[in-house]
Amino acid sequence: MSSIPGIVAVNTFREAVRDRVLYNLIFFALLMIAAAVLVGGISIGIERDVIVNLGLTAISLFGIIMAIFIGVGLVYKEIEKRTLYSLLAKPVQRWQFLVGKFGGLLLTLVVNTLLMTVGLAIALFYVAHKFESSDATILIAIYFVLLELALITALALFFSCFSSPMLSTLYTLGIYVAGVFAPDIRDIGLFTDNPAIKTVAKCIYYVLPNFHNFNIIAAAAHKEAIPHALIWQNTAYAILYSTVALLAASAVFSGRDLK
Amino acid sequence: MSNVNHTRILRLALVAIPILFVLLAFLQRDIDAAAGPLQNQNPELMIQSGKMLKKMSLGYDSLLADIYWTRTVQYFGFRVGKPGETFPLLAPLLDITTTLDPQLIIAYRFGTIFLSEPDPAGAGRADLAVDLVKKGIAANPDYWRLYQDLGFLYSIRLKDYPKAAEAYLEGSKNPKAQIFMKVLAAAVALKGDDLETSRAIWGEVYNSTQDELIRRRAVQHLQAIQANLDLKRLNEVSEAYAQKFGHFPATIQDLQRAGFVRGAPKDPEGYPYVIGPAGVPQLDPQSPVVLDPDKKQAVKP
Repeated sequence: MSSIPGIVAVNTFREAVRDRVLYNLIFFALLMIAAAVLVGGISIGIERDVIVNLGLTAISLFGIIMAIFIGVGLVYKEIEKRTLYSLLAKPVQRWQFLVGKFGGLLLTLVVNTLLMTVGLAIALFYVAHKFESSDATILIAIYFVLLELALITALALFFSCFSSPMLSTLYTLGIYVAGVFAPDIRDIGLFTDNPAIKTVAKCIYYVLPNFHNFNIIAAAAHKEAIPHALIWQNTAYAILYSTVALLAASAVFSGRDLK
Repeated sequence: MSNVNHTRILRLALVAIPILFVLLAFLQRDIDAAAGPLQNQNPELMIQSGKMLKKMSLGYDSLLADIYWTRTVQYFGFRVGKPGETFPLLAPLLDITTTLDPQLIIAYRFGTIFLSEPDPAGAGRADLAVDLVKKGIAANPDYWRLYQDLGFLYSIRLKDYPKAAEAYLEGSKNPKAQIFMKVLAAAVALKGDDLETSRAIWGEVYNSTQDELIRRRAVQHLQAIQANLDLKRLNEVSEAYAQKFGHFPATIQDLQRAGFVRGAPKDPEGYPYVIGPAGVPQLDPQSPVVLDPDKKQAVKP
């Protein structure tokens, strides 16, 4: 029974590859090549910073687009194609199906991100002619991007359990944007004397998925040291929040009438 | 069986999700503490061109201006009062805000104060404040208060009294301008570096704003001017006392007994003035009044 999510995950990954999802890597490669060649001509002294900023931003954006647009269709597609019914006729629980779908898309995103990381490393070496120990921060930044993508995937999957792909995309995108601005929402509370607004702002801050936590792109570009505690804390945060989203998704999906 | 499963998962979700959110809140507090140094790095302005942002706003430029103004206030608010703090993004943020919405008067008026106040109360860039307020005047020629701000900058911050008089005079030509603009123009032209003139200018700054921070600064300056005038007078009295008795007074009571002053003269905060070494009148050491509010140590958080 425990291997069922794994089987669903592998099949989801295969399906993504068959759907030519990884073709986005070509765009990424072209972007990196163009940036590496052009950056010397358009900037002075910040060639490395530009490559790191551009590379990490592209990895993050490509990943987010994939996580949202594929994530919201994971369940819907199975229902539309009626493949879900034959699957659920077997001893497969609905939560196992969801966890498998989540794992499959995450696997796709990990492979995609790893390949883009290789592309970024090549572009970086082309520009800087060497790697430095401080470049490890870039790997931490990429790891944080992956944590962010896991969280987005879980949220997209949650919304897709009760809504159409179009609305799920809007909801996920909305939550993502709100989560990016979570610290600003908290700061609204700091600038008011109204205790009710302070409390509401604080509650929203803690309830929203805080995507700001995962953004250390500027720190990576400036070779800032990342506190080690932040690595496990962000990992725990992504795991806990994804668990919340998947639990909620399972609760909704298990009660959904699929007839 | 499906219903049993659903009920079981629903119960699990109802119990587990609140617990997980509590754990997440605690974890977020730890993350905020750990990521503090990273998040407190000098922020950057990705796009420094207000004109470009105006185009990118797709017509929602006034809303974007409000957002940038809020960001400016937050940027300034988090840094003001911290000695040695610099405000490198203050001028660009104000420029973007006022480019997005050239009629956002508050950005010119407060921005002028934020930029021109000396460190640590502001960025200490009166030159940039002059540029900002001139930009405001160009976009809002009928708003005479901006001329008042320009006159303030020239007279108080840059000590350029002819230009200050010119600004006050230009503003006074507006039919809606209050009479004090003409008075200030004349006073600054006649005797720019004069405490009474400064008092009139700071008095108008106090009267023309509702902002607590700016009012506090104006009060600080008004108190300083009053204390300087009082001490100047007490000094003259002390000199007269020395001429009469051949030595300086040791206490204020000496001056009272000799009939040079009535009662115990007090500073604007109610603390009695004292006689310091060599008979020089000075503020009580406990007094919160500062004689030069523009000095770095003078700003109290």
